[in-house]
Amino acid sequence: MTQVDFDDLQRTAAERIARASDEEGLRAIEREYLDKGGVIAGLLASIPTLEPTERREFGQSANGLKQAVQAALADGRAALAAGRLAAELAADDFDPTLPGARLERGSLHPLTQVRREVEDLFSSMGYQVLDGPEVELDYYNFQALNIPVDHPSREEQDTFYCDREHTLVMRTQTSPVQIRAMERMTPPFRVIAPGRVFRNEQQDATHEHTFHQVEGLVVGHGVQVGHLTWTLKNFLTQLFDREVPVRLRPGFFPFVEPGFEFDMGCAFCGGKGCRVCKGSGWIEFCGCGMVHPRVLEAGFAGRDDVDVSALTGFAFGFGLDRLVMTRYGVDDIRQFMGGDLRFLEQF
Amino acid sequence: MQVSYRWLERHVDLSGVTPLEVARLLTLHVAEVEGVEPFAAHLSDVTVGHVLERTAHPDADKLSVCRVDVGQGEPLQIVCGAPNVAAGQRVAVATIGTVLPGDFKIKKGKIRGQESAGMICSVRELDLGDEHDGIWVLPGEPEVGRSVAQALGLADWVFEIDNKSVTHRPDLWGHRGMARELAALLGRELKSLDTSLPETGSGEPYPVRVETPGCPRYLALPIDGVRAEPSPQWLRLLLLAVGQRPIDLLVDVSNFVMLDLGQPNHLFDRRRLAGSIEVREAREGELIQTLDGEERRLTPADLLICSGDQPVALAGVMGGELSKVEGDTNELLLEIANFHGTTVRRTAARLALRTDASARFEKSLDPCLALEAAGHLVRILAQIQPSLTLPSPITDAGDWAVPSVRIALPGERVRGILGVDMRDEQIAAHLGALGFGVAIDGGVLTVDVPTWRATKDVTIAEDLIEEVGRTVGYDAIPGAKLVAEVAPPPRDHRRELVRALQDRLSGSARFHEALGYSFQSNDLLRATRGADAAYVEVINPVAEGESKVRRSVLPSLLQKLGPNLRQRGDVRLFEIGKGYLPERRGERGDPAEVHELGLALAAPRPAANARFDAGALPRLRGVLDDLLHVVGAPAPEWRRAAADLPGWAHPGKAVEAVTTGAGGGARVALLAAIHPEVTRDLEIDGDASGACVSLDAILALDRTVSDYRPVPRFPGVKLDVAFSVPAQTPAADVAKVVDHAGKGLVASVELFDVYAGASVGEGKKSLAYHVVLQAADRTLDDKDQRKYLDRLERTAAHQGLELRRE
Ligand SMILES: [Zn+2]
Repeated sequence: MTQVDFDDLQRTAAERIARASDEEGLRAIEREYLDKGGVIAGLLASIPTLEPTERREFGQSANGLKQAVQAALADGRAALAAGRLAAELAADDFDPTLPGARLERGSLHPLTQVRREVEDLFSSMGYQVLDGPEVELDYYNFQALNIPVDHPSREEQDTFYCDREHTLVMRTQTSPVQIRAMERMTPPFRVIAPGRVFRNEQQDATHEHTFHQVEGLVVGHGVQVGHLTWTLKNFLTQLFDREVPVRLRPGFFPFVEPGFEFDMGCAFCGGKGCRVCKGSGWIEFCGCGMVHPRVLEAGFAGRDDVDVSALTGFAFGFGLDRLVMTRYGVDDIRQFMGGDLRFLEQF
Repeated sequence: MQVSYRWLERHVDLSGVTPLEVARLLTLHVAEVEGVEPFAAHLSDVTVGHVLERTAHPDADKLSVCRVDVGQGEPLQIVCGAPNVAAGQRVAVATIGTVLPGDFKIKKGKIRGQESAGMICSVRELDLGDEHDGIWVLPGEPEVGRSVAQALGLADWVFEIDNKSVTHRPDLWGHRGMARELAALLGRELKSLDTSLPETGSGEPYPVRVETPGCPRYLALPIDGVRAEPSPQWLRLLLLAVGQRPIDLLVDVSNFVMLDLGQPNHLFDRRRLAGSIEVREAREGELIQTLDGEERRLTPADLLICSGDQPVALAGVMGGELSKVEGDTNELLLEIANFHGTTVRRTAARLALRTDASARFEKSLDPCLALEAAGHLVRILAQIQPSLTLPSPITDAGDWAVPSVRIALPGERVRGILGVDMRDEQIAAHLGALGFGVAIDGGVLTVDVPTWRATKDVTIAEDLIEEVGRTVGYDAIPGAKLVAEVAPPPRDHRRELVRALQDRLSGSARFHEALGYSFQSNDLLRATRGADAAYVEVINPVAEGESKVRRSVLPSLLQKLGPNLRQRGDVRLFEIGKGYLPERRGERGDPAEVHELGLALAAPRPAANARFDAGALPRLRGVLDDLLHVVGAPAPEWRRAAADLPGWAHPGKAVEAVTTGAGGGARVALLAAIHPEVTRDLEIDGDASGACVSLDAILALDRTVSDYRPVPRFPGVKLDVAFSVPAQTPAADVAKVVDHAGKGLVASVELFDVYAGASVGEGKKSLAYHVVLQAADRTLDDKDQRKYLDRLERTAAHQGLELRRE
């Protein structure tokens, strides 16, 4: 029986493990030393052939060898993994300029987006959002709004009529919803009514025969001019997310008395005067005023539960299209109805 | 309307008040000033010169060489071609560098060999009139070296007033009315104006008969001893400032009075009249040739001024050919009338003939103003031509009354609405400054409206509150927080539905929201095969053939597919809008309104081997299923749609979703391939489908929140099954068989392949499904799967379906 040189075996195994460059190599060494029929198994199998006095020491040495090889393999594997990780982190195959995968998307019309903001702001102030017909009775569009048949402002409204008798019109304003609201609601109430309106105008970059308005109406007890200014100023300040200077000046609309034009400070020049505001520092935002007593009478006609003489209210109506044009810098109003995806998908 | 600063100064002292301040005051308290422009700005650059010497040009007969003192340095040598230039004159000199109207810059030069250091200007060169047969010899002895504008007091500013902001104010259509407002705002006096009629002779008053209520007052005054000559310069300059071309004295004075007091008037050549005036309604079809040369056909709604029976003017709108003053007459008849506003407005509108006169009459003028204007006109004319005489008293015809409105105004109401703390006396003072008569008695103001505001404009207490509010200034009214007096608004299901649809579509469904016009052209309706339907129609469309109001949003949505498809591979559009159905009308004749979601999808045609659900129609179907689920519609039944199809739908490829259960049976959605003729006519080069969803139908449903299903606790078994079936077999029928065979174990069935190639045989197709079997109480094993497949094979065979087991 030849002497087994455990130290040499261990040194050789350790050297080979250290030289192994991949898992494959380590696995081969593992098989050679540790598997069934491997070097260490062979050594252990030879124990019965030894002198009884030698057996114990030999067995300990063989097990020691086994553990040393296992430990060396574990270290070798750890070193390989560390190497791989270092290599992966050091890799220079990344192009940071490569684009991301394109996500197909949809879009909401810009008029819808701004309209929602307007609706939400007024909702938060207790306003109910109402809808009204686009093909409207002359009664609601004109007569009940203190615009009788002979009234000159009928002509200025460039109305589309739907019959020879002029009983049906394409509504020229969202104001008819004021009357419809009064007919079915009980004061006090606050409503807004966004929607499309129509004027018989030739189209160009700033004129449309179809555009969008938001009507507002508050009816109650003790409603004052100051409530109107506060409401609109508060609304604009929230909409534009900045303090907006405002002013009232006289304006004539048959369904309000007193009637006002409501201006807001020009955002482009900060009120100093520029091309957008035609040098005045102000931009017309809307027409408004205190609801005309004749309008209240028409709207609440036949209502025993409502004492019209005790009521006051204010109303306003502003254009949505121009708000949107201002916000996004859209320079051609016809884009809104055009349906070109290259326009729509930007929003 | 244009208003001149200098003209206003005739009526109110504006010292210390700049033109910009006037514009600000008017805008904030009276009417919108759209612009302020200097009048004839170049007059500030033209210098008053003194012609020291005039000598003939050595080499040109018609030219002269002048030495002109312009107040600075050596006198200038200027060559001048005007015949009337003479030594001693004060003239307007444009020196080197001055720019005259028409962008005409004066340069140093030689004229026929003689140096010329400027130009002596004619009236026309200064844009002050048409005369150019000589230079403008300045009147009086203006200071040499000053600007012409300053030396002659011509500096003026012109305010452009937005007419819409004064439609309700008959009194603001003349300078005096504007001046009255400024006087009140500045706390100054309106200058007095003598408008009394000078003494008249004792001849017979001119005979006038008023035969119509449309003319409440008609004044006629014969005037002798005046002739048409050029107007004096002050008059010409004022007219020029407000954009009126001076013509001759008679026309100019007439215009001046209209622009000064707001009262239109007319001067007739008395010799051309038949000796009497009649104001009457026109006869049907009666003709008049107006001064603009047009022949007008009239109706009884129009009013005529007639000489005898011969029409001479279209009342309140325009004179007729016969009314012209021509040649050197000195026998005139002044007409100043008051016409019914609405009558004039209708005539002017129907004939599309809006004039300065009609614009004023239609505001309902104060009848008292007529007599003031008569006195004003005669006095101005007499001042210019003292030879004027009035042979007979003025004729005052018509049935008119002094406009009188008295309003009780509680001071509390003013304070309540304006929210301004102000005593009754202060309120009275503000109204008084504007000409209102006010008496205070126990907290109530009794207000007499002045005649010029009493025709239509001021009728109720609120009108007076506006007067107080605007003179105080709306700036003085503090903002007041509107405190909650109202209950929170109720839930708004329609808006919630619209938003849910918009969000889903623009989000996960990746659709783009588009908006279409409510008016649809005949061409589009023909192209979308909808021309035969009934439409609400506007009688005055913006363009010929664009009168129809849409019933559905689909046509305009489909129209947007073609152009977009030419730009990109996949077009997904939706619109939520209203449609109008004239065949269903309300009690008052209003057409039924429907609320609709329209969807349109177009893409290149799928490849032959693409999955069965790659086309536009199945894709849109998937979107619809998702939408109906999101909005809580009970699971609808999809079935072939045969009846009641819109024209754009392919009749063989149309399905509808019909809801079952309570309130069910209504069509919630319709989905169809686009009719081949429509894709051809709209040039949609691809695979296109459209759908419409009725929001009204969805809102009418008992909408549900789907029940929670417990997450499975035991793993399921996934398997694929395929069938060979007759080509006509609906895939949904086969899916039902797949489901039923599980006796409750089938958790889901999903079709994933449809194939009809040669390998499955003639008249047959192959359908393949992913199936998941699942039990709530145990893990299923191979035995369960085998039992299921055996049962499926049997039930399928029973129905003529062949399960293909691999
Ligand atoms: Zn600006």
